[in-house]
Amino acid sequence: MTRLNGGLIDRSQTLSFSFDGKSYRGHPGDTLASALLANDQRLVGRSFKYHRPRGVISAGSEEPNALVELRNGARQEPNTRATVTELFEGLVANSQNHMGRLEFDLLAVNDWLAPFFAAGFYYKTFMWPKAFWEKLYEPAIRRAAGLGSLSLQPDPDAYDKGFLHCDLLVIGGGAAGLAAALTAARSGAQVILVDEDFRLGGRLLAESHALNDAPAVGWIAGVEAEFATLPNLRVMRRTTVFGAYDHGIFGAVERVSDHLATPGKRVRQTLWRITTKHSILAAGATERHIPFANNDRPGVMLAGAMRAYANRWAVSAAQRVAIFTNNNDGHRTACDLVAKGVDIAGVIDTRSDAKSLGAYPLYAGAVVSNSRGRLGLRKIEVTRNGQTQWLSCGALGVSGGWNPNVHLSSHHRGRPVWSEALQAFVPGIGGPPGLSVAGAALGQGSTQAALISGAEAARDALVDLGIPATLPVLPHAEDAPQTLQSYWHVPGKPRAWVDFQNDVTVKDITLAHQENMRPVEHLKRWTTLGMATDQGKTANVTALAVMAELTGKSIPETGTTMFRPPYTGVSLSVLGGGDSGEDFRPRRLTPTHDWAAAQGAVFVEAGPWMRAQYYPRAGETHWRQSVDREVLATRAGVGLCDVTTLGKVDVQGADAGEFLNRIYANGMKTLQVGRVRYGLMLREDGFAYDDGTCARLGEDHYVVTTTTAQAGAIYRHLEFARQCLWPELEVHLISTTDAWAQIAVAGPKSRALLEQVVDDFDLSNAGFPFMACAGLTVCNGLRARLFRISFSGELAYEIAVPARYGTALMARLVALGKDLGATPYGTEALGVLRIEKGHAAGNELNGQTTAQMLGMGRMVSTKKDSVGAVMSRREGLVGETRVLVGLQPLDPSLPVVAGAHLFAEGAAPKTETDQGWITSACFSPHVGSAIGLGFLADGAARIGEVVVAANPLERQSVKLRVVPPHFVDPEGGRLRV
Amino acid sequence: MSDLKPITALGGAVSRAQSFGALSIVENSGLALASLALRDGMTPPIPMGLTLPGPGGWTTGGDVAAFWTGPGQWMIEAEGKAEEDFAAALAAQVPGGFVTEQTDGWVAFEISSAAGEGPIRRLMEKVVNVDVAGFAPGCATRTGLEHMSVFLIRRAEDRLAIIGMRTLAASLWHALETAATRLQDHPAA
Repeated sequence: MTRLNGGLIDRSQTLSFSFDGKSYRGHPGDTLASALLANDQRLVGRSFKYHRPRGVISAGSEEPNALVELRNGARQEPNTRATVTELFEGLVANSQNHMGRLEFDLLAVNDWLAPFFAAGFYYKTFMWPKAFWEKLYEPAIRRAAGLGSLSLQPDPDAYDKGFLHCDLLVIGGGAAGLAAALTAARSGAQVILVDEDFRLGGRLLAESHALNDAPAVGWIAGVEAEFATLPNLRVMRRTTVFGAYDHGIFGAVERVSDHLATPGKRVRQTLWRITTKHSILAAGATERHIPFANNDRPGVMLAGAMRAYANRWAVSAAQRVAIFTNNNDGHRTACDLVAKGVDIAGVIDTRSDAKSLGAYPLYAGAVVSNSRGRLGLRKIEVTRNGQTQWLSCGALGVSGGWNPNVHLSSHHRGRPVWSEALQAFVPGIGGPPGLSVAGAALGQGSTQAALISGAEAARDALVDLGIPATLPVLPHAEDAPQTLQSYWHVPGKPRAWVDFQNDVTVKDITLAHQENMRPVEHLKRWTTLGMATDQGKTANVTALAVMAELTGKSIPETGTTMFRPPYTGVSLSVLGGGDSGEDFRPRRLTPTHDWAAAQGAVFVEAGPWMRAQYYPRAGETHWRQSVDREVLATRAGVGLCDVTTLGKVDVQGADAGEFLNRIYANGMKTLQVGRVRYGLMLREDGFAYDDGTCARLGEDHYVVTTTTAQAGAIYRHLEFARQCLWPELEVHLISTTDAWAQIAVAGPKSRALLEQVVDDFDLSNAGFPFMACAGLTVCNGLRARLFRISFSGELAYEIAVPARYGTALMARLVALGKDLGATPYGTEALGVLRIEKGHAAGNELNGQTTAQMLGMGRMVSTKKDSVGAVMSRREGLVGETRVLVGLQPLDPSLPVVAGAHLFAEGAAPKTETDQGWITSACFSPHVGSAIGLGFLADGAARIGEVVVAANPLERQSVKLRVVPPHFVDPEGGRLRV
Repeated sequence: MSDLKPITALGGAVSRAQSFGALSIVENSGLALASLALRDGMTPPIPMGLTLPGPGGWTTGGDVAAFWTGPGQWMIEAEGKAEEDFAAALAAQVPGGFVTEQTDGWVAFEISSAAGEGPIRRLMEKVVNVDVAGFAPGCATRTGLEHMSVFLIRRAEDRLAIIGMRTLAASLWHALETAATRLQDHPAA
């Protein structure tokens, strides 16, 4: 155990966990990384490409190396960062990306083959033979690629989402964030403070510096105690703001129960959308390393992380440690480790004028030029003035300076700007509106400067919002200036890693430069730099500096790549929102849904609706048997179908008639009260939009029906026309689709059935003729609407009652109609009935067809203007010869398939000879064979001719006779009896 | 009175009601709804003694209440009058206005808290993107909830009504039940 004294872990409790099947112990407050280091487990994984042994590098969310498969079974999650995984009792973790044991990874052969695996290897190598790519190369590369593995089981946990609103969002709970939140919350503003860690404090927890001459945790505890008393402040720990979106909206993931073995009744994570008037980014900074030969061995870490492990987690990665630095921050680590009793092999400082700040050997003006140790660091090579010497050490802390975490301030195409003084990119202009930056994220590296900048940023933001705020009394803190020498990598022949996770070395960047992949966006894609799960947080700026050095340009001239969400990885489960299966999306149920289910109906999705597709009966073993029975029963007696799904729009107003006249292609103004008319709507471009009926219930009152599929679109279209095209018309629209349960009562005995439910109403042909409508009562006083319209071609009605009575009416009609053969039918039979009658539906109104093609060209009135009327007369549409025809196979045993294309007999089936297509098809029990509807060139003149339907997908070719589109009662006599 | 028996939007013979700790959700199947639109230039009426609210508002007067749905448009609510021809009664009060029967177009869930406004606030945070702090009693709005369009009415600090499309009642209940159950299991979550 390499535990030190102190730290913010609870030593009174012990937690057991396992890594690669071996048991270990840690304490509450540990992360998996700190607990592994405390158990002397430096080797935690293998690198992506070369399968090099890798260990923990950082102490935060920037970690590129320490990725594990966390948990097991269905909860196994690959690529989980050990550095931000809170330790819990029973935690199970496994290393990933190796074949065989972690210590003897067979794929480490890749490291020996490294000369062949330089950047661009795949692009150049797998060019030929071309045929090998799909069958051989790609599967092999895919097998070798990737890090962790998926469980391939459904995620057993629940995920949630939510919405928050505030005046000020503070992102980050370190020195600057705490000062900002304190300032804002005291003012009474609505404030949300978010931090990705499970404990507030940020770097304050990792440093030994005092605040007001006392440990920082004391000040943090006081602030947290005050926070708890402020109802206008919401503190969200374990929550990462991952993106800045439009209109002051930020995306955040709260890891509600990631720190527990199983969530129990809790959700696993919650996706929050936070809408804020102003935001402060106080996300701190990420330390950068200095590439040198073989700098990727387990034990080589960031010096700041090494300090964090010592101070917060009471852990040192080794008993004997060295530091490689170009600034005073490395010395700070050495001092803290010395104070904790760790042996310092030396501080190697690139600055020749560096001064020792404590009791440790100093190598000023020196660099670390190589390292040794197969599975973990054993020695480092120190070069000074051309002289080299090897130092023994088990860990090396590297400090190359700090990069402000500018990510969120660089969303919305914001570009960071280079600070020569800080030798780092700092937030620039053009980022998310209303976002200001404070603390180390702004380049304010000292604790004192961070505290002040956080408080001032909050005050300024509130002043902008008109909320008076005063600065709190802040504690005294260290305020050391930054002393950094620009030093980006140690030159040398062996590989020096820049991006640890994607195995990108200085050599790869040099090669990119040679191959002219010099712009940073090319560099990134060609070498895959910064494209791993860590998005190159510890690598990108260093890589830019190396490229700048090669090109002779400055770093700002070299530029940065684009910053995009997410800041850290977000699981697809939490983005998906949680519901799956039948709750995946809202489902609309018809008023008779439960009744139909009780009858054993099979349901089908129709857009958002669940509709009864057919009602199987005992003895029916195939759906066709049920559908044929329903169709024949309707044609012979009476069928009942819930048609509530058709859109119903209540249109009222003094100008309702004029409005509808402009909406429909055919005249609607002349419709008499108590009558229904079939109507066709066109789009602005002249193509057919939708069809349906329009009923006039009163002088100023109409009801428009639409197809089920287009109900929403047509309502939107009507509202657009009302509000934007003709605001001068007095028209009011209300969707009443849900309000009325509507049942189609179709068949020669439909009148006889309805006569049993209407209250004193004359249903005779004279009293209520075809295309009549009326308000009436049924079943002793229930308000209802009756329409004599037909989709089936039979004598038929549609009766509407308030939705809550739909089930009762349906059951009553079935019961009363028993002797008449009353049969409920579903959407399949509905489709057969309408195809037999030759009625157009969604398949024929698919946005590519015109009134003329549908055989309704003369419906487009020339006596008035309407939406699309003028465009329907344009040359391209008028010249269209394809029209709707019926199709019947010469051999009645052969199928007719919707989607098949039509060709003249003997013509080769290709685009040039295409003469149309089949839109709808079914088996017609009335005809005794399959039938179809389709659009055929010069179709009207080709009745009786034989054409060929080609269905290349199923290698079918069927001869069809062209017939009129009405297979049933072409004269329409049945409708009018 | 018809001899047909109605069912509620959730398909039951009686309204569904369920408690989730401090929160309870009740399907209000007795609520009658009718929309009212004014003719051009018409002076806003005071139907059934009700002062019609402005944008984003809801007013109540005894058993009837109204919320704003658009310029010159309101939805009028009448408690316990679903079985009456409320639209006709309203039309009689507003000669010349355009009234549409809407009772069966919607499902109304009345949500109440036995522990003050906290549970209402937390439920709203989980289901609707509405600034709870600015949604005081007397506010009404239309918004999305799990991809469904709903009306929200803050009837009191501790009472919220969610009115959604009737055919989506089961999906809306599922969404509210899921959120309320999670709040019951972890009130502070």
